[in-house]
Amino acid sequence: MGPDSAPGPAVPWRKVLWERQPFPDNYVDQRFLEELRRNEGIRQYRYWAVVKEAGFVGQQLSCVAIFITLWLYMEQGLLSPERLLWTSLACALLGYGLHQALTSQLESGCELRTRMADLQSATIFLSFTFGFSPVLKTLTESVSTDTVYAMSAMMMLAHLASFPYAHPSPPGSLSLNAALFASVCLASRLPGALHTFAMLSCALLVFALWPCLLQRLRESAPSQFTGLCVGVCIGGVGGLGSQWPGGAVLLALALGSVTLLCPLLLVRLQRHKDNIHGPWDEAEIHEDLSHFLH
Amino acid sequence: MVLKIFFPQCCNRAESGLLVGRWISGHNSAVVLAVIHYPFIPGQVKQYLQQMRAQSRVELSVLGSWSLPKEGQEGMESFLRDLSTIFPQERWLQINREMGKTGFTCQVLSRDQNGRAAQQETKKKTEEGDGEAGGDEEEKVIFVHYEQRKVMLSQLHPIENGVPDPKTDPPSELRQMFQTVAHSQPLFFMDKYDDGPLKSTHWQSEGREASIVVELLKQASVPLCLLVSWLLSVWTWICNIRIFSLYPLRFLSSKLSTCDQLSYRTEQMRTLSSVKPAVGHTHFMRKANILVSFLVDVALGVLLMSWLYRDNHITMLANTLVPAADHVAKELDELLQWLMGAPAGLKMNRALDQVLGRFFLYHIHLWISYIHLMSPFIEGILWYGGLSACLGLTFALSLLSDMVALLTFHIYCFYVYGARLYCLKIYGLSSLWRLFRGKKWNVLRQRVDSCSYDLDQLFIGTLLFTVLLFLLPTTALYYLVFTLLRLVVVLFQGVLHLSVDFINSFPLFAMGLRLCRSYRLAEGVKFRVLCEEPGTALHLLMEINPLKCSTVVQTYRTPTYSCYPKDSWVALVKKLFVGELIYPWRHKTTKTD
Repeated sequence: MGPDSAPGPAVPWRKVLWERQPFPDNYVDQRFLEELRRNEGIRQYRYWAVVKEAGFVGQQLSCVAIFITLWLYMEQGLLSPERLLWTSLACALLGYGLHQALTSQLESGCELRTRMADLQSATIFLSFTFGFSPVLKTLTESVSTDTVYAMSAMMMLAHLASFPYAHPSPPGSLSLNAALFASVCLASRLPGALHTFAMLSCALLVFALWPCLLQRLRESAPSQFTGLCVGVCIGGVGGLGSQWPGGAVLLALALGSVTLLCPLLLVRLQRHKDNIHGPWDEAEIHEDLSHFLH
Repeated sequence: MVLKIFFPQCCNRAESGLLVGRWISGHNSAVVLAVIHYPFIPGQVKQYLQQMRAQSRVELSVLGSWSLPKEGQEGMESFLRDLSTIFPQERWLQINREMGKTGFTCQVLSRDQNGRAAQQETKKKTEEGDGEAGGDEEEKVIFVHYEQRKVMLSQLHPIENGVPDPKTDPPSELRQMFQTVAHSQPLFFMDKYDDGPLKSTHWQSEGREASIVVELLKQASVPLCLLVSWLLSVWTWICNIRIFSLYPLRFLSSKLSTCDQLSYRTEQMRTLSSVKPAVGHTHFMRKANILVSFLVDVALGVLLMSWLYRDNHITMLANTLVPAADHVAKELDELLQWLMGAPAGLKMNRALDQVLGRFFLYHIHLWISYIHLMSPFIEGILWYGGLSACLGLTFALSLLSDMVALLTFHIYCFYVYGARLYCLKIYGLSSLWRLFRGKKWNVLRQRVDSCSYDLDQLFIGTLLFTVLLFLLPTTALYYLVFTLLRLVVVLFQGVLHLSVDFINSFPLFAMGLRLCRSYRLAEGVKFRVLCEEPGTALHLLMEINPLKCSTVVQTYRTPTYSCYPKDSWVALVKKLFVGELIYPWRHKTTKTD
C-alpha cells in the first residue's frame, strides 16, 4: 500500500465504492464503457413510406388553400352563395353516404340511432349558424383589413400546427377552433349575411367533417387514400392558381418541400444520429410485476 | 430599603397632630391623607377612623405623628413617642419640621414580634464611620409632595376596568396611590366650620365650595331623565309596530342613512337618560361625550336652520335644483351620443352601440319626465326636510346624502346594467377561452383540466367566443364610463358619511377636559426635586403628566356605526376589472361592537 500507482496483478480492481483499494479514485480498467450501447431502438425509415405519410400533411395544407380559394371567389362575386350552399349540401350527403358505407364494413348495428343523432347535430349547426350570421357579419366591420388578414393567417397556421395528423377523427379542439375562428373572421368580410352563412357551412364541411371521412378511408382503403391526397393537392394548387398565381406557386413549393424534401432530409440525417444508452439511463421496468401482487 | 411617603402639599404648614393615611400594600410606601390636630381624644379618633373606613372602603389608619412646633410649644418629643403606644401599628412615623427650614426629618419606629419597640436611626448622615455599622439598617426616606385636589380628581390611564386579580397582576404603586386618594372623599368632608370633636387639615379644610347652578341642575336632571326615557319608550314602541316591519319598508329603512342615524341617536339617548349615575370613569366620560356631542350637533343644526329659513334661501335652492338636474341629464345625453359615434377613435360595433345607447337614452328621458313631474313639490320637500336639522347637523347631512342617492338613482341603474353585462361577458369569455384550448374548469378540484368536447360543443363554443370577443370593446367602454360616474357619486356620499361619523364619534368633552383641566386625564407623573439638603430626607414634587391628545381621541372615541372602506385598493381594482358590483362603504352596526 505504497504511493505507487501501478496495480499489482494480485489485487484486481473492483468497481465498488465502499472498499479501500490500492488504486486512485479515478482509475478505470479495460472494461470501461463496455456497457455502452449506441443508437438503440433507432428506426430505419424508408423514403417512400415517409412520403406517403407526409402526403397527409400536404393534403391538409391544400384543404386550407381550397377554402381560401372559395372565399376569394365569393368575395369577388364570382360564386353566388346559393350555389355554394347547394354544392356543400350535395357534397355533405355524398360524404355521409360514403362514411356510412365504410363504417358498415367495419362494424354494424345501431344505425338508426346514430342517424337520428347525426341529423340532430346537423340541425343544431345549421340553425345556429343561420341565426347568428347577421351578428357575425357585423363583427369585423370596424377592424381594418390588414388586421383581419393577419389574424386569419395566424389562426390557420395554428390550425395546421396543432392538427392531430395521427388520428384525425375526434377533432383536436385547438385546431378546429382556430380554423373556425379564422373562417368567421374571413366570412365577416363578405357582402351579405347569406354569404357568411354559406362560408361557415363550407368551413364546417372542410374542417370538421372532411377529416372524419379521411380517417375512415385511411383505415379501410389505404391505396385509394394516397390517390385522394394527391388529388386534393393538385386541386388546391389549381384552384389557387386560378385566382392568385403567386399563391399557387408558393403552395406548390410548400407542398413539394413538405412531401418530398423533408422526408429526404429525415432519411438522410438519420445516419448522423448518435444516441448513447447505458446503465446511467432512467430505469424502465420491462418485466411483468404481477408476481409481486400476491 | 427606601421608604416613600406621599405627603399632601396642603399639610405642609399644618399644626402638629396625627397623620392619617394608608400603607400601600406590596410596596414600601405610605400615603398621608390628612392631619388630625391636638387636642383630641384617642377613642374618638379611633371611632372616626372606623366610620371613615366603612364609608370609603379604604384601609385608613393612623400612620404616625406630625410636629411643626410653634413658639412656646416645646418638649413634644416624649409626648409624640408615647402616642405610638396608644395607636398600635407595625410602623410608626415621626415627622418633624421646624419653621424656617424647608426639609423634614423622619423617624421610623417599627415594632417587632415581641411587642417591644425598637428604634431605628434614620437621620441621613453625611459622614460615615460613627461606629454604628453592623446591626442597624439604614432606611432612606423620600418625601413625595402631591397636590391633593388634583390627584383626587385625576384618572390614571390606561384605565383598568373591573376588579383586577391581585394574584396575577398587582396594581402598581402609583395606581394604588391614586385610587386611595380618589376613594377617600368622605375624609375630606370635615372642614373647619364643622362642630365635631375633631379638627383636621386637608385640601378642603378651608370650607367646601358649591355652586347653586350645579345643585339646581342635579335636582332637575332626575325628572328630565324620566321624561326623556318615557319619550324614548314611546318612540321605540312606534318604531316596532308591525306595520313597519313589512319587507319593503324594512328594506328601504336599511338603505337610508337617516334611519341609521335616528336609531343611533336613540341608542345614545337611552344611555344618557338612565337614572342611575355613571359607574366608573369610562362610563361617565362616555355619557359626558355623548351629551356634549349632541348639544354641539343640535347647535350647529340650529345654525344651519337659521341660515336656511332666512332670506328665502329655500326657494332659491329649489329653483336651482330642477335646472341642475336638467343640466346633468343633458350632459349625460351628450355623453351617450358621443359614445354612439366613434369615441376617441375606438372601434365599436355599430349595432350593439346603437342598441345600448338608445336604451340608456330612453332611461334618461324617463328620469327627466319624473323630475319635471316632481318640480312643484320640491320646495315643500326641502322646507320640511330642513326642519330635520333641528335634531342635529348630522341629520341634515344624512338627509342630504339620501337625497343625493335618490337623485342619482339613474346613474346607479346604468352602472348596474353595464356592470352586469360586462361581468357576464368576461365570465363567458374566460369559459369559452378554456374551451378554445380544449380544457375545462374542474369545480371539485378547483383547477383547469383537459377535456374532449363533442363536435357541436366545439362549433357553437367557437362561434360564441368570436362574437363575445369582438363585442368586448363596446361593452367595456360603456362599463367604464358608467363606473366612473358611479364612483364620483360614491365618493361624494362617502365624504358626507365620513363627516357625519366624525361629528358622531369625536370626544369633545374629553378633548375639552384635556385642554382646560389637563390634570384630570393623567398618563403618568413626573418628579421634580424640591429640596436636597444633606442631613434631611429627599423631597420631590409629583406633577401630573397629562395624556397626549391623540391618546385622548383614541381612548374616548364614541363607537359608531362607522363606515369604512370594505376592500383594500388592490381588491377594489380587481373587482372593477372583473365587473363585480362594488359597494365600497360598509356600515358597521352597533350590535357587533
